[in-house]
Amino acid sequence: MKKIFLIISAVLAFSFASKAENLRILAEAGDEATLTAAIAQFEKANPGVTVEASYLGWDDFMSTIKLKMADNNPPDLAHGNQGFTVDGTLIQNGLVISLEKYADQYGWKSVFADGALAEFMWSDDGATWGSGSLYGISPVAEDVIVYYNKDKLKSLGLSVPSNFAEFENALKVSKDAGELPIALGGADGWPIIHVWGLVEGAYVDPNQTRSWIFNAKNTDFNTSDRMTAAKKLADMANAGYFGSDSLGIGYDDANAMFMNGEGVFNLTGTWMTADFNSGMGDNVGAFAMPRASGGVAGGGSFALPWHISSKSANPDLAAKFINHLMSNDFVDDLMGVGRVPAQSPTIDPTSNLQAEVIAASNALIGANAKTFYTDWATPGMYDTVTQELQKVIGGAASAQEFMDAMAAESVN
Amino acid sequence: MSTNKIYRPQTNIDYSSYLYILPAFIFYLIFVFFPLADTFYNSFTEWNGISEKKWVGLEQYTKNLANKKITSSIKHSFILIIFYSFLPIMLGLLIAGLMIRVKVRGMATYRAILFLPQILSMIVVGIAWRWIYAPKGPLNSGLDFFGLEEVSRAWLGSFDYSLPFVGLIGTWVMFGFTMILFIAGVQKIPSELYDAAKVDGAGAISEFFNVTLPNLKGEIVVALVFTVTLALRNFDLIYITTGGGPGTSTMIPSMFIYKKAFQMNQVGSASSLGIMLTFLIFTLVSLILIIFRDKK
Repeated sequence: MKKIFLIISAVLAFSFASKAENLRILAEAGDEATLTAAIAQFEKANPGVTVEASYLGWDDFMSTIKLKMADNNPPDLAHGNQGFTVDGTLIQNGLVISLEKYADQYGWKSVFADGALAEFMWSDDGATWGSGSLYGISPVAEDVIVYYNKDKLKSLGLSVPSNFAEFENALKVSKDAGELPIALGGADGWPIIHVWGLVEGAYVDPNQTRSWIFNAKNTDFNTSDRMTAAKKLADMANAGYFGSDSLGIGYDDANAMFMNGEGVFNLTGTWMTADFNSGMGDNVGAFAMPRASGGVAGGGSFALPWHISSKSANPDLAAKFINHLMSNDFVDDLMGVGRVPAQSPTIDPTSNLQAEVIAASNALIGANAKTFYTDWATPGMYDTVTQELQKVIGGAASAQEFMDAMAAESVN
Repeated sequence: MSTNKIYRPQTNIDYSSYLYILPAFIFYLIFVFFPLADTFYNSFTEWNGISEKKWVGLEQYTKNLANKKITSSIKHSFILIIFYSFLPIMLGLLIAGLMIRVKVRGMATYRAILFLPQILSMIVVGIAWRWIYAPKGPLNSGLDFFGLEEVSRAWLGSFDYSLPFVGLIGTWVMFGFTMILFIAGVQKIPSELYDAAKVDGAGAISEFFNVTLPNLKGEIVVALVFTVTLALRNFDLIYITTGGGPGTSTMIPSMFIYKKAFQMNQVGSASSLGIMLTFLIFTLVSLILIIFRDKK
């Protein structure tokens, strides 16, 4: 009897030891090309490891990720989203683990400037954001910058603006010449958050905006600088710089318009770089938004953070995969799939546009001037800010009404 | 009917007959009753969907009623009833009334075409109409063609027009249904009634009001219940076309339920709003049934 038991346990031990390791990933669909490249390399470098990735589009992903991580059999590795709504909830409920151990092991923190990873830092109870332990990380930078139609800018006798007043002047000259100054897909709401981030960045100290996003309840939203920015946005809308139909145009349609030669500027994120490049070739350029008092600023952050599930049977393997994404070797692969790496690439940009986008992104990182996204501030902020910005763009609310509604949501 | 016939309760009920409805009943319990009961319980809690539920009594309800965005969204729902219910019923009656007088060749084809929106998915309908209403869509192109550039605009992006124009999509979808319902109803009205009306010298209008309309009462109640319910619980059409915007101008309660439950981590609040909406629909449907009940 004892013998049989020994044989069985030996067989079991052997089968466990030789059992192929399995890593399950759930990702937002925007990362599919990146992960396809990474998984092939990772499986090759780690024989016996199988990586299964599944993808969901943005809306589906964001509305189900918390439930999926709370499930008894969650993915080992999954995207979250910066802010209290997703990341905060995951940490508060102990569904994801701190990555401090792995950050030390693999040296992730030393790659970036001090404080650059604040958007992934949380207190261990998930109550305080912006400092504490590292709970997520991403190899990709996403910044909101200004894309422009090179032919149009040239034929209007304009050059790339070096401060916000020059940018405003370029809008006025475009409008007077019968051009649409800014292509904006306001029907979707959220693209206006990106426009607001750039106008806010032009007037408000980036540190102040970041402090407000990390701790909206206890930080004053209603400052005089921000009021100036809100008035500026309302003035731009009233002057017709977004056209008269922007609230009836979706984000994809606005980008299609821009690529078809309608709109001098397009204020959007670096995730559009590959599309614009294939749609406009050498006729599209990009720059970081210049501030009113010099320098640059704008919305932007790392891409969606990677989290390791607290129920993962093999968190070390998950961390190893994250490290593959974070590694120096993978930077050039990120460029290859049209993304903007958060670390400096070692190869030359593949196009003029990519070179200009990376320059803009580096300028923002160098000035520590990324201001994240307004809707990160509170769970209800996405709704409030999109609705209130639509009202400002449509002339249905004044700058003061916008400020009041935002300040009220901040303490909600 | 004579009333001296005494009702005798059956003493030997064959309980095995209940077995036949058992599968459907279990299905109903699992997929309708339990979720509803669970939602009802959740509506008295504060819950983010993951952590422990915290009992808060009626707080979610009082908060919802005090929220101006929510009360104004209920107002939008009532405006949508005009477009989803009132207009389709009027149009359906008009077509049914005309049918009696005018014989149209190939009516079956027209009927099929007019009924088509009913069998399309609301998602398809929403995407198609978003294109029709787009700033450079067919509607504005048509207006521009007739020199009405002043009138054309981004219909769904307008704070004044987005609600009625979303409503008109509902009218387009629903009137095929009311029309089929009323045409079927008209066909079962005995032709003697029309002959008698003609003998009495009734014209088309008098015939409609004295014969057709009273005999369609049953169908009108069905149409009202169905369309009013849809107007109040409608979600997909708004979600696809405007998402509640611009601003909050097309916001309806079901959008809030979705946003609260899936975007804002407020499952308790979303549940209470769901229960409130269910209660509102129940009340309105009961009212319709009471107003139109047979007074015999």
